Amino acid sequence: MDSLGQFEQIVLTAILTLDGNAYGVTIHAKVEELSRPKKVTRGAVYATLDRMEDKGLISSWLSEPTKERGGRSRRHYRIEKSGEKALRESARTAQRLIETIAQTLGGLAWKPR
Amino acid sequence: MEATLNEPPPWLEQMVLLAIPPAARESVAGDLWETYQSPHQYAAEALRTVPFVVLSQMRRNLSPLALMLQGALIFLCLGGPATLVFLPFLMLRDAYQPVTRPTPRRAIREAILLSSWAMVLLFLFMAHHPPFPVRAGVDPFTWLSLFLAALFLSPFLCLFRAGLIMQGDRRMPLAADNLSKDALAGAYQTFLKTAFCRNVLEGTALAFAAIAGFFFTWNVLLIGLFVLAAVYLLLDTIPRVASAGDFVSLRAQYQRELLRQEQLRRALRWLWFAPVLVTLQARLAITATDAQDMVIALLNGVAAAILCFLVAALNREFGGRVQEQIGLLDRMRES
Repeated sequence: MDSLGQFEQIVLTAILTLDGNAYGVTIHAKVEELSRPKKVTRGAVYATLDRMEDKGLISSWLSEPTKERGGRSRRHYRIEKSGEKALRESARTAQRLIETIAQTLGGLAWKPR
Repeated sequence: MEATLNEPPPWLEQMVLLAIPPAARESVAGDLWETYQSPHQYAAEALRTVPFVVLSQMRRNLSPLALMLQGALIFLCLGGPATLVFLPFLMLRDAYQPVTRPTPRRAIREAILLSSWAMVLLFLFMAHHPPFPVRAGVDPFTWLSLFLAALFLSPFLCLFRAGLIMQGDRRMPLAADNLSKDALAGAYQTFLKTAFCRNVLEGTALAFAAIAGFFFTWNVLLIGLFVLAAVYLLLDTIPRVASAGDFVSLRAQYQRELLRQEQLRRALRWLWFAPVLVTLQARLAITATDAQDMVIALLNGVAAAILCFLVAALNREFGGRVQEQIGLLDRMRES
């Protein structure tokens, strides 16, 4: 299984937290929130979504067209089993990193922000 | 997200729609519309978004082997500078691949336009390329005959294109809006079986063609490509049983496999025609000394242009069918 890049982890987490309402606009908003203070372009989110879909980590489908979108459909995203697994693995690695850094910098009362 | 009362100006929206690749148009344009605040914000957001979408679609739809073969053919026929001009164009064409098959009228218009352009370009190429001093030694009657022959090619190409469309119309599977999970799994399994058999047959045929290539003294690189393609196809024949999952997962798997198989086929269509194109190019490259040789060279050039058109038409038609099927699956609901 391929390991996830940092941005992929953020996008996957955004889809996971948005549950049934994950589409371009909401995912971008959530990704911006998670990546603060860094600004993220929506295009980068689309490109990452496409890449993760090709890897089979997420799946997508089109909703019914809506008036507030000029009669266009939303592309909804959902995390797949392999995506969940990859995200769990990344979280475990991050946890180990946090623990190691906290142990090393413990004297400085270091805390992840 | 709250609905906005404002709407982007139609002219601006049209420009943005044109810039977004068709495969992503629906969702990306809808997202841009949903977050619309002012024309300036809309345009700025589109400018920031569209390049990423284009690159992403390019990566998704591009078949490296097909691009490599097309690049090599352009390089052989037109040289390095032309390759540098054409390659980015070919890559962009992959990104902007239409999601539907062309209408019969449009396809036939394309056939006429393309055959006419091929003739004009060929004529210009022959007139200015040093080994082909067109006017020297060729009588006007020969020229007239050649161009009349070219003129009659258009109906042939139109018939070929119309035939492809009619054949595609007869075989559009999965046209339902709703499908049960079992029916979808059945359709996917049938597709996998067909792809498996096709890959075994085509892999074997490619291997035989590579062996034949030794006897016909083909280019070593070409034989190598045939061998590589055969090995890839024969190794790719492990049956992929649709793994367990719900409707959405199954549909995503089906879409991915459809796209993967089509990318493979697109490259293989170019590969099958490559030996003929290379042979025609080799004949073209021979410096003509008398009028008879020049006419043969010209006919070879015309044949190469037509062959390229036929391969491109096949790829356009079959690629359109796959994109249409992916679009149908995108909108399909579980019944």
